[in-house]
Amino acid sequence: MRITCPFCGERELGEFTYLGDAKPQRPAADAGEDAVYDYVYLRDNIAGVMSEHWYHGGGCRAWLKVTRNTLTHEISAVEAAAGAGAAKVGA
Amino acid sequence: MSSSAIPYSTIRMEGASVAEFSWDIRSPLDRALVAGPYGAQGKAGVSLTEIHNFDLAQVMARRGKAGEMIAAAKARFSAAAPETPRAVSAADATLIWSGPDQFLVLSKGGKHSIEALAAGFAGSASLSDQSHARALISVSGDKARAMLAKLSSIDLHPSVFAVGAAAATSMDHTSVTLWRGKDRDGQAVFNLLVFATFAESLWHTILDSAAEYGVTIGHSDELA
Amino acid sequence: MAGDQANRLTSGGLIDRSTALSFRFDGKNFLGFKGDTLASALVANGVRLVGRSFKYHRPRGILTAGSEEPNALVELRSGARREPNTKATTAELYEGLEAASQNRWPSLNFDVMSVNQLFAPIFVAGFYYKTFMWPAKFWEAIYEPAIRRAAGLGRASGVSDPDHYDKAWAHCDVVIAGSGPAGLAAALAAARSGARVILCEEDFVLGGRLLADGGTIDGLPAAEWVARAVAELEAMPDVRIMTRTSLFGVYDGGTYGAIERVNDHLPVPPEHQVRQRLWRIVAKRCVVAAGAIERPIVFAGNDTPGVMMASAMRSYINRYAAAPARRIALFTNNEDGWRTADTAIAAGLQVAAVIDARADVSPAHRSLASKGGFPVLHGSVSAVEGGKGGVRKISVSLTGGARAEVEADGLAVSGGWNPAVGLTSYHRGRPKWRDDIAAFVPDGAPPGMVAAGAANGAFGLGACLREGFEAGAAAARDAGRSGNIGSMPVADDAAFSLTPLWHVAGKCKAFVDQQHDVTASDVELAQREGFQSVEHLKRYTTLGMATDQGKTSNVAGLAIMAAVSGKSIPETGTTIYRPPYVPVAIGAFAGHHRDENFHATRLTPSHHWAAEQGAIFVDTGLWKRAQWYPRPGEKDWLESVTREVKAVRGGVGFCDVSTLGKIDVHGPDAGAFLDRVYINAFSSLAVGKARYGLMLREDGIVYDDGTTSRLAEDHYFLTTTTAKAGLVMQHLEFCRQVLFPELDVQLTSVSDQWAQFSIAGPKTRDLLKEIIDPAEDLSNDGFPFMGAREVKLRGGLKARLFRISFSGEMAFEISVPARYGEAMARNLMIAGKPFGVTPYGTEALGVMRIEKGHVAGPELNGTTTAGDLGLGKMMSTKKDFVGRVMAGREALTAPSRQVVVGIKPTDKARRLRSGAHIIPKDETPGPENDQGYVTSVCFSPVLDQWIGLGLVERGRERIGEIVLAHDPLRGEDYDVELCNPVFYDPDGGRQRG
Repeated sequence: MRITCPFCGERELGEFTYLGDAKPQRPAADAGEDAVYDYVYLRDNIAGVMSEHWYHGGGCRAWLKVTRNTLTHEISAVEAAAGAGAAKVGA
Repeated sequence: MSSSAIPYSTIRMEGASVAEFSWDIRSPLDRALVAGPYGAQGKAGVSLTEIHNFDLAQVMARRGKAGEMIAAAKARFSAAAPETPRAVSAADATLIWSGPDQFLVLSKGGKHSIEALAAGFAGSASLSDQSHARALISVSGDKARAMLAKLSSIDLHPSVFAVGAAAATSMDHTSVTLWRGKDRDGQAVFNLLVFATFAESLWHTILDSAAEYGVTIGHSDELA
Repeated sequence: MAGDQANRLTSGGLIDRSTALSFRFDGKNFLGFKGDTLASALVANGVRLVGRSFKYHRPRGILTAGSEEPNALVELRSGARREPNTKATTAELYEGLEAASQNRWPSLNFDVMSVNQLFAPIFVAGFYYKTFMWPAKFWEAIYEPAIRRAAGLGRASGVSDPDHYDKAWAHCDVVIAGSGPAGLAAALAAARSGARVILCEEDFVLGGRLLADGGTIDGLPAAEWVARAVAELEAMPDVRIMTRTSLFGVYDGGTYGAIERVNDHLPVPPEHQVRQRLWRIVAKRCVVAAGAIERPIVFAGNDTPGVMMASAMRSYINRYAAAPARRIALFTNNEDGWRTADTAIAAGLQVAAVIDARADVSPAHRSLASKGGFPVLHGSVSAVEGGKGGVRKISVSLTGGARAEVEADGLAVSGGWNPAVGLTSYHRGRPKWRDDIAAFVPDGAPPGMVAAGAANGAFGLGACLREGFEAGAAAARDAGRSGNIGSMPVADDAAFSLTPLWHVAGKCKAFVDQQHDVTASDVELAQREGFQSVEHLKRYTTLGMATDQGKTSNVAGLAIMAAVSGKSIPETGTTIYRPPYVPVAIGAFAGHHRDENFHATRLTPSHHWAAEQGAIFVDTGLWKRAQWYPRPGEKDWLESVTREVKAVRGGVGFCDVSTLGKIDVHGPDAGAFLDRVYINAFSSLAVGKARYGLMLREDGIVYDDGTTSRLAEDHYFLTTTTAKAGLVMQHLEFCRQVLFPELDVQLTSVSDQWAQFSIAGPKTRDLLKEIIDPAEDLSNDGFPFMGAREVKLRGGLKARLFRISFSGEMAFEISVPARYGEAMARNLMIAGKPFGVTPYGTEALGVMRIEKGHVAGPELNGTTTAGDLGLGKMMSTKKDFVGRVMAGREALTAPSRQVVVGIKPTDKARRLRSGAHIIPKDETPGPENDQGYVTSVCFSPVLDQWIGLGLVERGRERIGEIVLAHDPLRGEDYDVELCNPVFYDPDGGRQRG
């Protein structure tokens, strides 16, 4: 498999590390145990298009959001994590 | 033992109980690198040169300050720092892209050491000294691309990886910074910054990969 | 006679008659020519019997002339280079080649195990499953070894492979599999477009079937056209032609696997060269021009030596000038097979008869038969008479019921052609059935791939050229290349008419899969027993599961299955196709990564100095670390380690701890960031101070620990454990980029920048004063416990000094830029000489941390909480941090949890072993009474006995309790006392002193 890093270009799979579903958002500090439990443990087992976290650790060390079809391995989009590089996030 | 441009590299100093210390500087390839021919005989297809004693600083923009960092670089180096995977030659330094909003400053003789850079980048970037964290190997020769194809998944065809192209990539599962320097004697030159603690292991892998083409090995104090 | 190339034709062929090569097969000397394969040289020498079959030890000959060969498998070379199951049909002949037949004992001609044939009725499909069921224990002890002796193929050498293999990457616009007419035409079109082209050919000569079947292309003899095409391609700088290279797999994103047999055609690879190279080819487009494989017809005795594929006979006669037989019969169901009759006659061989299963034969062939003086028999072969000496007589069932016999010493068989649909089907593609050629053809392909020519079911020469050329042009266009492709090569198309015939019913064994000895009746039996799915059929009968992956047998097996089940072939369907297309040596996949190069190795900055000192090294992840430094006269490691510990506790020692992960954390929000990743606070840490930090996973379990120092307002220096260094960096980047992107913080690994040494023992300051500039104040006031700052060394070099202690002694850690690491080790030895300085390794480090009750890897084991480690109080309640909420769950805070406690045997002389389970005194050892286990042990020089740490239920409440250490692995049970995990200096006075 090859992933097109938005910073480095197309690279082979060996440079990347898979983390998992990129959909769940870390709950706010006061969200309570149930919300955190859902965030940590509950995952959809998607047969189809899925948004995933990948780490370009063998390259530029950017965390990426990869849209991948788990049935065909087709990658339809790759974007950098919000905080990759020096991107200014929030106020 | 190599000589060094760094002032305190081989200073001898007496301790309190009149013991004599010498702060010899040793490249991580000091033991493994044996200058001369290696592998198949005849005209060497691969030339490997280790460059000793360089200054290397990682410059990483602070949040929202990428523009300021580029401006600071421009002021210091009179060159546009790379914002894409490229290596930019300035008068006395090479600026090599190492990731989004960050680059490495490669230089010699302390002129652009981390201490020297600090003031110019204050507030726009965080600096981290990498001078001792890497070994620098320059690869050239007719068979340089054939040899590198065994180590690197990057397409080094001249139409794709031209002079000045750079990549933050991996060789033998180890992170490296690879860039193409100026051609020398009409031949492409590929520069490799490899992590110091991996250097000896990777060096042996490089030699194994290059042996069939014949290798000439040397070292230099000059940046390519 | 064998040995004299008696069956070598006097002229013709692509062999180099001026270069004779001598070789040995089963101990006998033969001669062949350069350009031969082992198979063609054996054919030229009249050797017909080349092996014994897998199950029944039946005599077998050469069936094909290519990589689809099921029978002619040999052990090639000898000694450490002996390679089993090598296809004689693809092994290039070289001077001095040595090969031996397989699966026979004591000799090929007299094989004791051929008695298996007499028991053939019991060796049916599923025989092993049905027979060796009971008693279960017998399987490993008796059945399996016996079966393995009787069945099987070649023998591995049993010793390490002396040759080298490597792996390489290649990149191109268009990769082409196969250099027959379609492949060459594709390469021409793509290359002329300006595309970067890689052309892979498994053979050592380019041309594919053109080498054997010739033809006329653009008005030129095929050989001449090939030569011109190759010359044109070779002249283009961006075309790489790779012979001896099989494209064996296609992977996601346009990555292809290929195996190049760089030096298999030589007895030994030249110095510095590899035997084989595994290629990963990244291509925008792929044209599969891998051709088609002629398929057998299954009939009784179809495995008799001398029965050969019709196309293979043409290969041996035309390409190698070797006659497989003198009097040849041909059994065909299609027009193409007849070319073998043409070839035989042209070569001056006799044609005994053509047995054609079709109702009609073309007028041209009728006249060929009358000119050649041989009969055309309408019908099919029902039996073959012959044995290990080869075919003697052929029985024919004529259409209408009559029988005939044909005397011949060779039988050519053509059942039609199967396109090579492997590559196009590797992404779970299912080929589709085409009735007109009675074969499966690709139905789509992985993204970027297209089949052309015979691989796509186009069998005519003109069609192959046209499809190849068009596919090559389209591939280049898709890759963005638009040069002038010039004119398309042109040739006539021969008609292809075929009447499907898969199996001729008969009484004797008719083999479908010759390599695995699967017969037509096995397939029928499997179907009767309910194995309806082809996937089940395959696994039950092992059809197609041998090293040839059923290239000559799969479709026939499906057809027979379809016939007995009353379904059509497309309804029956194919099994899933999986790479590799040809066997690939494991050595090639390993490449450089074997023995000491199995993985990259990391060396500490003082490694070579430690080696000079005679250190024993231990592999710690990728690192080589000094484990201990033996001295002359020490009888074992324990004596050395004990000496090192005592030297530290009584004087001073040092240890290279550069393997710890080191991370620069920069930025205005660095403190706030660390507050979120550690359970304790770091924003409140003063500049110039260090603090022990513990980080959790988001599920509340401990992830890693280490000391982090604040070097400036916006600069922290964080350390991780050796094992987790890379993972912590990845985790922190995740926190920075994904979880907390609003924080202005930058991370850089500086693990390799600093050589770091721990200097420990009561005389540490004395030693440091020798090295550090006298202006630096190292007193308790000037440099208190947990202080951290830059210092100047004598001579001016700057270093970082941290007053932290893992050993429990008065200790510092000192960092210098890594290229000074070796000098630092030498200087510590010089400076420390008056104080008896002792370098110590990881074992002594471990002893001292256990004596101090410090947790490490065995306790940070992915199941423990901060509370379990006795560090629960560190968890801040004033801030959010990763793992905070989940760490508060009931089960993770239950009082019954297993927590860290000290453990020592009540018998001081007894050795404590890690892994021993803790059982309450007077309870029966067993899972129901298991209360934890011993995690870390050492011999404590301070206490003069073995001690340890363990995770024990309610351990901290049970200090002083005597429990049972139960060690079923070593068969030991002994009493131990639960105690304070801090065995040494529990109030910490020494490290603060």
